[in-house]
Amino acid sequence: MFLLGYLTLPPSDPVSIYFSHISKTFTSGLFRRKHVNALDDVSLRIDEGDIFGIIGPNGAGKSTLIKLLMGFIRLDSGSITIHGKDANDPNARTQIGYLPESAYYYDHLTVLELMAFSAITSGISKNVISKRSSTLLNTMGLENAKNRKLRSYSKGMTQRAGFCFALIHAPNILILDEPMSGLDPLGRKMIVDIILDLKKQGKTILLCSHILNDVERLCDHIVIMHQGKLLETATRQDIHSKHGAHGLEEYFLQVIQGTQHEKY
Amino acid sequence: MKSIRRIVALTHITFIEGIRDRALYGITIVALMMLATNILFTNLFGHELGKIMVDLNLSTISFAGLLLTFFVNINLMSKDIDRQTIYCVLSKPFSRGEYIVGKYLGLLSLMITAIFLLTVCSGGIAWFVKNSVADYFFRTFSWTCYAQAILYIMLMFTMLNAVVIFFSSISTSAFLTVLFSVATYIVGQSIEEVAFFFKGEAVTAGYSSKFNEFLIDSFQYVVPNFSAFDIKTMASHGKLMSMNHTIALIGYTVIYSLLLLFFASHIFKRREFN
Repeated sequence: MFLLGYLTLPPSDPVSIYFSHISKTFTSGLFRRKHVNALDDVSLRIDEGDIFGIIGPNGAGKSTLIKLLMGFIRLDSGSITIHGKDANDPNARTQIGYLPESAYYYDHLTVLELMAFSAITSGISKNVISKRSSTLLNTMGLENAKNRKLRSYSKGMTQRAGFCFALIHAPNILILDEPMSGLDPLGRKMIVDIILDLKKQGKTILLCSHILNDVERLCDHIVIMHQGKLLETATRQDIHSKHGAHGLEEYFLQVIQGTQHEKY
Repeated sequence: MKSIRRIVALTHITFIEGIRDRALYGITIVALMMLATNILFTNLFGHELGKIMVDLNLSTISFAGLLLTFFVNINLMSKDIDRQTIYCVLSKPFSRGEYIVGKYLGLLSLMITAIFLLTVCSGGIAWFVKNSVADYFFRTFSWTCYAQAILYIMLMFTMLNAVVIFFSSISTSAFLTVLFSVATYIVGQSIEEVAFFFKGEAVTAGYSSKFNEFLIDSFQYVVPNFSAFDIKTMASHGKLMSMNHTIALIGYTVIYSLLLLFFASHIFKRREFN
């Protein structure tokens, strides 16, 4: 079940990720006088086994939310927990597989070395790494390129290498920021199939994407963000039944344009 | 145990990333060429051949180490942040302190490998020249002194790489890190002479004060004293530094480097990667 707003969680609740009243402001300029409110009192709960989609215009705060979750930037206020652990605790990331929006990896490593790094640092033994690497590389179509340096990869190949990096340690939680970026239609279908397969395995997936068709097809719950705030939440069914929209794109435009009309 | 495993994994990929960098090949080739041409240069110096050979070889190794530190190693650090490859490390269960230690050990292992390779080559060249000329020309030469000088060079770069890590943790660009690190190296090489001048001639000439002396004393403790590691002249004359001096210098290197890494970790914890 999906809820917005502040809650006291019962200890037995299967919550994967919980954002509680988080705010983040970025300052810039020589004397730090310019302030940008990236997130404003956002609360969000992602249950175990959910595929959760976050959509919004550019600058809505989606990537900021993810970077706070991953500990790349600090909260101004509020808290984030991952399976009950504070997100600032590095051990909370043991069960997370992360695919960044613009995936850059070490130029001179091979995808095998990258996966080995991901697996070893997540506590996976070398025997298991070897078997899983082989399976993942075959699935991602990178078997023939496994000994090539990552700098020689195309954008699509780098994205698929990123998936290998994120999945090698079989994490319970996947954070995918624009996972379809740079992929051709075949590659996108492959990723969609993988995500659906991961859902069957009970993985929790947090998906940020501008490709609304994919979000609508894959996600159980969808949140729309705009200018650092959560505007609306809905399930796939709600979009059609409650809001009368023919698809997520129509619903998204209704919500965003509705906000802009209120403003003016 | 898990922490050590993570640090070792990061050390490993930092080392691989560095060793496959073409800039490193370039620096190594230039250094090897310089070592080879040392054979020609030393023949110009007649009966001082042995001393000049040792001095030139050690200078070449130091020079190659400086190029490696200021270009390859600083680039390895800054690239992580500029190209956001740091995300693939910090998305794993790494603390910021583990990241600093892992990167430092990676840079250090790269440095040690390069210096070891150059030491073997320079030792080979020295052996070749020594066996090509009369013993008289190498009467002051000692392999023990040569090895000790190499050890001191490695200790110096251990500390210099800690300086690089420290400035990488606070500066936002590779250029600033290079600037601060080079400035620290230059000051570190000359601080002993400056302190000697202030405490000697300046006092005699009457244009020093207690405050200046206090300032220089404080500075001597804060700035790394890189000149203490420079024993080329002693090595070329076949003079061995005492065991106490070596142990003290190892202790100084370890403590100073650990302090720098400690401060770097704390500063790095506060950094945001947006």
